[in-house]
Amino acid sequence: MSSVVQSDTKGSPSAFLKAIVGKSVVVKLNSGLLYTGILQCLDGYMNLVITDVRESSGIAGSPITSTYGEAFIRGNNVLYISAAEAL
Amino acid sequence: MTEAIKEPLDLVRLSLNEQIKVKLRGDRELIGVLHAYDSHMNLILGNVDEFVTVVDVDSTTLESTTRFVKRSMPMLYIRGDGVILISPN
Repeated sequence: MSSVVQSDTKGSPSAFLKAIVGKSVVVKLNSGLLYTGILQCLDGYMNLVITDVRESSGIAGSPITSTYGEAFIRGNNVLYISAAEAL
Repeated sequence: MTEAIKEPLDLVRLSLNEQIKVKLRGDRELIGVLHAYDSHMNLILGNVDEFVTVVDVDSTTLESTTRFVKRSMPMLYIRGDGVILISPN
C-alpha cells in the first residue's frame, strides 16, 4: 500500500499531528461542538492550544456561538482533529 | 502574552493570577481568577462568576427559551474532568 503514502506526514497518526501544528484545523468534541482555528501545540493527552478560535454547534450551517483569541482544550473531549488546509 | 507556548499547559501557566473563562460540562461557564492548577486541570479559581445555561420548555406550546443563571462565589475548587476549555478572558 506504499502508493497511498504520499509523504512522510501521512505515515502515522503522530506524524500527522506533528505536521498540522501551526496549520488551520477543525476540532470536533465528543459533545458535537466544533472548533476551528490555528493549532499552536498539543501533547500526549491530545490537550490542544488553538488560536483565533471559532466555536459552533457542529450542525451543518450553524452560526458561530463564541470566539476566543486563545483556547486550551482538554484532550479527553477531542473526537477528531482535521486539517483545514493543505499540508 | 507573546511568550512561546511549547506545550498546551503553558497557556494555563501563563494565565496564573489572570482572569480566565472556563467552559465546563453541563452547559456551565466560569469566569474567575486562576490561582492554581495541575495536570488534571483541577483548578482553584477566585472571585468566580458561574453562568449556567438553562433551557425552559413550555409544556403546552413546547416553545423553548434559554436563559443564563448567574451565581457568584469567592473561591472554588474545580475537578479537572469537568473542564472542556480554558481561555484567557
